[in-house]
Amino acid sequence: MERTEALLIADLCEGDETALAPLIEKYKRMVYRLAMQITKNHADAEDVMQETFLKVYRSIRTFRKDAAFETWVYRIAVNEALNFVKRRERRQERTIETTAEAEFEADLRYRVTRASDPHVHAEKTELRRYVTEAVNSLSLKHRTVVILHEFEGLTHAEIASILNCSEGTVRSRLHYARKKLRTLLKPYVDAGAI
Amino acid sequence: MSLKCQKIQRLLSDYIDETLSKRQMRHVASHLNACRTCKREAIDLKKTCHLLENFYVEPKASDAYYARFTKTLQQRIEESAPTTLHQQVHGIGARWTWQLLARVRRYIDRCVPSGFITVRQKVLPYYALVAAMMALLVAPFVLQQMPSDENGEHALGHLYTVAKARLFSTSNSVSRQPAATLAIQQDKATAQPAEIRRNVSRNRTTETPTVDSGSDVWQFTDDPAAEGYILATLRKDSKDTFPSVALNIDSELLTYAELPTQGAPWEYPTAREFLTDGRYTVLLLQGIRSGQHALQEYKRKWSQFDGFSRKLLDVPLETLSITEVYDSIEL
Repeated sequence: MERTEALLIADLCEGDETALAPLIEKYKRMVYRLAMQITKNHADAEDVMQETFLKVYRSIRTFRKDAAFETWVYRIAVNEALNFVKRRERRQERTIETTAEAEFEADLRYRVTRASDPHVHAEKTELRRYVTEAVNSLSLKHRTVVILHEFEGLTHAEIASILNCSEGTVRSRLHYARKKLRTLLKPYVDAGAI
Repeated sequence: MSLKCQKIQRLLSDYIDETLSKRQMRHVASHLNACRTCKREAIDLKKTCHLLENFYVEPKASDAYYARFTKTLQQRIEESAPTTLHQQVHGIGARWTWQLLARVRRYIDRCVPSGFITVRQKVLPYYALVAAMMALLVAPFVLQQMPSDENGEHALGHLYTVAKARLFSTSNSVSRQPAATLAIQQDKATAQPAEIRRNVSRNRTTETPTVDSGSDVWQFTDDPAAEGYILATLRKDSKDTFPSVALNIDSELLTYAELPTQGAPWEYPTAREFLTDGRYTVLLLQGIRSGQHALQEYKRKWSQFDGFSRKLLDVPLETLSITEVYDSIEL
């Protein structure tokens, strides 16, 4: 008989390690997606995944049963990924990355403007690439909020709880991120390529 | 753009998500009907959201990747699991205790009207009570087994006397200081402090910083910052000054400099006075746990390294509760 999530959590709390595997199975894709989107690096994403599930395993007893397990895993994964990126930046890569991000953004804008003649380049694969690159070019704070809201479908309140900030901050970051994305993808937005 | 348009445009993102109140939704909608610029903005934002929704490619990994990941994770969990017999016994004991406590909690939950106890913390007093009762039951047997010394004093009583003497002795203030300070002061009695050079190892593995006073090697066996210390690295040139936590100090050589212990507070030296051009000074600060106002204040400014260090330079050492100052020739 398949155990419910609540039962798996209770078993894991009581030291039953076999309860961990189904939980990993359920959440591994979500954690990978988040880690990859925030760190933008395959190897780092794997490290974040490892750390996230290890933390889930070690801290399961601190999990409050009245909270949603999914949100708890989200919180751990997002914080692990953000800490990972911050640590990476601290290792003297900050300047390089900022410059690289600015260059990347300028390059993206140029390419989108050039290739955005909808009559010539209407291929969806190209558009997919640009949209993905535009999201990746956002700053860490804005990118995190966009990922959690647009792609993971979390509410403002849930995001605020995960990022430990106010709902107003989440709304504001989301608004600015969308405005920036609109600027980056302006030719497609204007052409109505949807 | 009018002020009203600016206000409305700030709400557009929430308007698209329909997370505004009904009144605000009506307000924004009526404005959009009247203002073409804001309407255009709203449409563009909506289109952007649609682009994200329909064309963003989420990262995906293959099943083989996940299989490899699960295997590695399993290995890490096993590695972190207890290995020696002692650890295994300890682990099993902890697990059984936890299970026992979980059963007690469930039993209490059943006995008490439902909903009364829902949070685990609320039954902690019961756990403490059970633990205390068990300790009371076991204590007489343990005391009987323990040997007495030649004066007939019980070993436990002796332990208590020693602990009391160490904790409450006023004549020996050194005993209340942490291990590193203690050892340095012991060493001062036999050597010229200004000439003592110590090799700080990068290997930090155990709990507290310890000093082998017999040799000349000072091994930081743990991150001193975690033990209530801050190690600040300063240089006289204010442009280059920076403090750092202990982890960033890769120095191999630290030279001890003695602090004056007498004089009025305004005569206390500042860190700047200890600095000479082109040299670093490593300050071992103590006081995170002692609640020193000055240090707490500087701790808050920890992220602003430059300002922190500049201010730190001119603060009397006594205020910062600096227990040791180290002048390092090469960091």
